[in-house]
Amino acid sequence: MVRAERLMVRVLVVLAVPDAMKLSHRGVSPTSIRPHTIPAGLESQAKALGITADNCLFCVPSDLALDGSIRDVWLVVTHTTVLTLSADATDGKPLSGPFEFTHIGKVRCFQTVGSAFLQVQVDNLYVNVVRYSNARRESFSRAAGQIERLVKHEPLQDDALTRKSDRTCDHCGLPLAGKESPCPRCSGHRGVFARSLGLMRPYGGAILLLLATMIAGVLLDLIPPQLTRVLVDKVITPKTNLHWLPMILLGLIIASGSRCLLNIVIGRTSSTVGTRITRELREMLQHKLMNLSVEYYNRHSVGSLMSRVLYDVDYFQSFVSQVAQGFLLNLMLVLGIGTVLFLMNWHLALLVLLPIPFVVIGTIFFWKHIYPRYYMFWESQSKMAQLLSGLLSGIRLVKSFGQEAREEKRFSGCAEHSRSSRRKLESGHATFNPIMGFVFGLGGLIVWYSGGNQVLGDKMTLGTLMAFFGYLGMFYAPISSLSMFSNWVTGFISSAQRVFEILDSSAVLPTATDQIHLPSIQGRIEFKNVVFGYDPYTPILKGISFTIEPGQFIGIVGKSGSGKTTLVNLLCRFYDTQRGTISIDGVDVRKVNPDDLRGQIGLVLQEPFLFRGSIAENIAYGRPGSPPLNIIDAAKAANAHDFISRRAGGYDAKLGEYGAGLSGGERQRVSIARALLCEPRILILDEATSSVDTESEQEIQRALSDLTKGRTTIAIAHRLSTLKNSDRILVLDEGRIAEQGTHEELMLINNGIYRKLVRIQTELTRLEM
Amino acid sequence: MTEATPTPPASIPRVYDKGIRLLLPETTSIFEGTFSLLHCMVKGDTLYRAVYAQRLFPIRHPDQFISLHYTDIDDKDKEIGVIETLAQFPADQQILVKQSLRSQYYEQVIQRVIEISDEFGLLFLEVETQRGIESFVMPWRHDRAEDYGETGKVLLDAFDNRYVIPDISQLPPTDRSRFQKYIYW
Ligand SMILES: Nc1ncnc2c1ncn2[C@@H]1O[C@H](COP(=O)(O)OP(=O)(O)OP(=O)(O)O)[C@@H](O)[C@H]1O
Ligand SMILES: [Mg+2]
Repeated sequence: MVRAERLMVRVLVVLAVPDAMKLSHRGVSPTSIRPHTIPAGLESQAKALGITADNCLFCVPSDLALDGSIRDVWLVVTHTTVLTLSADATDGKPLSGPFEFTHIGKVRCFQTVGSAFLQVQVDNLYVNVVRYSNARRESFSRAAGQIERLVKHEPLQDDALTRKSDRTCDHCGLPLAGKESPCPRCSGHRGVFARSLGLMRPYGGAILLLLATMIAGVLLDLIPPQLTRVLVDKVITPKTNLHWLPMILLGLIIASGSRCLLNIVIGRTSSTVGTRITRELREMLQHKLMNLSVEYYNRHSVGSLMSRVLYDVDYFQSFVSQVAQGFLLNLMLVLGIGTVLFLMNWHLALLVLLPIPFVVIGTIFFWKHIYPRYYMFWESQSKMAQLLSGLLSGIRLVKSFGQEAREEKRFSGCAEHSRSSRRKLESGHATFNPIMGFVFGLGGLIVWYSGGNQVLGDKMTLGTLMAFFGYLGMFYAPISSLSMFSNWVTGFISSAQRVFEILDSSAVLPTATDQIHLPSIQGRIEFKNVVFGYDPYTPILKGISFTIEPGQFIGIVGKSGSGKTTLVNLLCRFYDTQRGTISIDGVDVRKVNPDDLRGQIGLVLQEPFLFRGSIAENIAYGRPGSPPLNIIDAAKAANAHDFISRRAGGYDAKLGEYGAGLSGGERQRVSIARALLCEPRILILDEATSSVDTESEQEIQRALSDLTKGRTTIAIAHRLSTLKNSDRILVLDEGRIAEQGTHEELMLINNGIYRKLVRIQTELTRLEM
Repeated sequence: MTEATPTPPASIPRVYDKGIRLLLPETTSIFEGTFSLLHCMVKGDTLYRAVYAQRLFPIRHPDQFISLHYTDIDDKDKEIGVIETLAQFPADQQILVKQSLRSQYYEQVIQRVIEISDEFGLLFLEVETQRGIESFVMPWRHDRAEDYGETGKVLLDAFDNRYVIPDISQLPPTDRSRFQKYIYW
C-alpha cells in the first residue's frame, strides 16, 4: 500500500515536471536561440528599425528587463548592430541599443548575484545590453562569444550557437549532474531495489538457503497452536487420554527447538552475506572516490562523503536481512496464518481483520510525521561530529584567540539540538508504539468476546479458541512489522540513493578511447589559448599560450589569486580546460594515459600534505618499497636530511596527523623529497620553499639544479630571487600572461610588472639588513 | 557556523582608520551620467564612470556597508570606497544606489512551500514567491541549500537561480515541516 503511494508520487512527479519546468525555465535551452529569424510579435518593431529576417543574424530570448522586472525580452543581433527588443514595448523603441559593432570595443558577460548582464564596451565604458537570469547563462555566453567574433569581423558560427546544451537532458529537460552525465530519467535508470538485489546475485546459494529455512520456519510455527488445541480439547477439558500429555509436550519442545536451530542458521547466513555485501560496496565506493575528479570534491563536503561510506552502506546489511527474513517472512506469516485462521473459523477471522485499517492509517501517519524526525536526528549528529572535528583540529587557533568559552557554548547549542531532535523522535515513537499496541489489543478483545460467546454456545471448542489466540499473536506481529517496513524502505531508499549517487557519478574526467602511452616523457609542454574557470561562466585563466622546451627551468610569478596554481592543476589534469589545449610532447593531455601522466609529473603542493606514518613512509609515498639509500638521497637533495638525522627516530620517526611534529619548512622539504624520489620527468614546485629560510632555499636550489638537469621544471614562487636563474619567467596577471622572458629581459621592461615586483622585494631585503 | 556578531556599538573607535575608504555624503556625489550609467565623484579624487554597488553584508546589513566598484582601463575590478550608511545620503542619490543594488541582486523570496518531492537525487519544488507560483528543480545536496543568516536558507536550483527563505520559522507550519522534511540541515 505504501508502495502504491510511492508509485503514485512517482507518476505524478513525472507527469508534472515538464510542465513545471516550463514555468520557470522557459526557453533555457540554447536551442531556443533563433538564427536568422525574427521572433513572432517583434516583426513590426524590427521592421521599423530596418531589421528583417535577411539581415538578422540571431535572436536570444531573455526573461528579465534591465531593472529586474519579468519581461519577454529578445537580444537581436544583426550584421552591424546589437540591440534588445521587447514585444510589449508600447513605444516601439528598443530597450537598449542599437549598438554599432564599429563602436564596440569588447564584449563581456558580467555576473552579479542571481543574474547577469551582457555588456559591450563603448567609449571605454561597459554598457548593459541585456540582463538575464542565471538559467540562461549558457545561451548568453555563447551569444557573447559570437558578438565578439562579429566585432572582430570574424564569421558567425551558427553551430556554436545552437549546439545542444550539456546542462540539461535533450529529451526530457531534466537538469544533468554535469557535462555529459547520463540523464537519470532517460538512461533507463534501474530502481534502487533492483540494483540492490543485483548486488546479492553472487550469493544466490546463500539466499536460497535462507528462503528455504524461512519456509520451514513458517511451517514449524504453525504446529504449536495445533498441539495446544489437541491438548485442551482432547486432554485437559475432558480429562481423558492423560498419557498424551508428555507426548504433546515433547512435540512442543521439538517444534520450538527446531525453530531455535533455524533461527541460528538464518541469522548467521544473513549476517555473512550482509557483511560481505557491505564490504564490497565500501570497496566499490572507495575505488570510485579515488577516481572522481577534483571538481567533485569541491562540490561535496568530505564529511558527507565519509558518512556515506561509513553509515549509509550499513543499510545494505539490513537490506539482506530484510529480504531474507523481514519482509518475505512477515508476508508469508501473514498469508499462511491468515489462511489457517480463516480455515479454523472464518467468522472470528473476519473480526481479526478489524484493526487492520487503523494499522494502515497509523503507518501512513508514522511515515509522514514521525519518520522524518530521523533525518533531523541524523543531521544533528553529523553536525555535532563536524563541529567537534573542526574544533579539535583547530584547537590551537581556538586557544590562541581565547575562544574556548564561545566554542563551548556553540557545542552545547549543537548538543542541545541533537538532544531535542532525539527527544522529538523518541517521543514520537513512545506515543506511536503504545497506541498501536492498544489497537491490536482491541482486536484481541473482540475475539475474546465473540469467540467466548461461541465457546459458551458450544459452536466452538475451547481448544480451537486457544489455538486461535496462538495464531493471532503470530498474525498481528508481522502486520505491525510490515507496517514498519515502509519506514525501513524510505530509509533504505534514501541511503541507497546516496550510495548509488557516488557510484553513478560521472564526475570523472573523460578518458580518451585512443589513449596514448608516453612511457618516458621528454618534457615539452605547450599551452595553446587555454581558457578555464572553476565556474564555467567566470574564467580564471583567460587565454594562456606558452611553450616550454624539455629540460627548461621555468619560473611563474604573479599576484596571489592570479591563477598560478590553477595552471598547474590543468597541467596535471585535475581539471580539463574549457577551451584551448595543453599538450605534453605534442600529445593532448586528455589523450595521455593518466598513469603515465601523473607518474612522471612530480608535484609539490603549496600546502604540503603528509600522512600519519613515519618520515620514510611519507617520502616513499609515490614509490613504496624504495631502498633506504634512495630515500636518504632524495631527502638530502631536498635539504631535509640534516633535520631528519638529528631526530631520535631518524627516518623512522612517526609523524602525527597532517605531519604534526614538523615545522612548516620541514614539512615542505619532506614533500619535495617525496616528489624527487619518483624521478619525475616534469617537476612542479608550487611555492615549495616559501616557508624555508633563504639559506636553506639556496641549498635546495643548488641540489635541485644538479638533479633537475634534463628535467623540465616549473617553479612558482613569490620570492623572486628563487627564480633569478630560470631559463624563462612567466608573469601571470589576472589569468593572462602579462610578460615573459629571462630575468634580465624582464628587468628591461619599463613599468613592467616583474620589474616593479623585484624593486619592491629588493627594497624589503635592504630593510632587513 | 553563522553566529551573531553584534554590530559594534558606535562608541568603539576604528582601530585601523586607514583600512578602508569611507564614502561620506560630504565628499561624495553620486549621479547618473552617460548611457544612464552610475557615476561617482569623490572630492580630491577623480570622476568614476560606470559604477556599480555591492553589499558587503547582504544579509545582516543590507542597507549599510555598500561598496562602490568600477572597471578600470585594464578590465580590472576596483573598489572606490564603502558607504557606511546609505540613509545619510541625499534621497536622490539613495535612489540611484538602490537601483544599482537591485541590478546586482536577483533572487526570489519564497513565501510558501506548496509541494516538494524527490526523485533521481533531485528535489522538485513548487513554491510561491513574490512573482507568483513557480516550480524549480534543484540537486538534493547540502551545497545547494545553505544557511542564509541565522534563520534562513538560500536554495540554488539546477541552473544556479537563487531562492531565499529569509526566516524558516516564518513559513506556515505545514509548509515548514514539508520543507524541513527534505532540507533538514
Ligand atoms: N576550487 C576552486 N573553486 C573556485 N575558485 C577557485 C578554486 N580554487 C581557486 N579558485 C580561484 O581561482 C583564482 C586563482 O587561484 P589560484 O589558486 O590559481 O591562485 P594562485 O595564483 O595560485 O594564488 P597564490 O599565489 O595565492 O597561491 C582565485 O581567485 C581563487 O579564488
Ligand atoms: Mg597558488
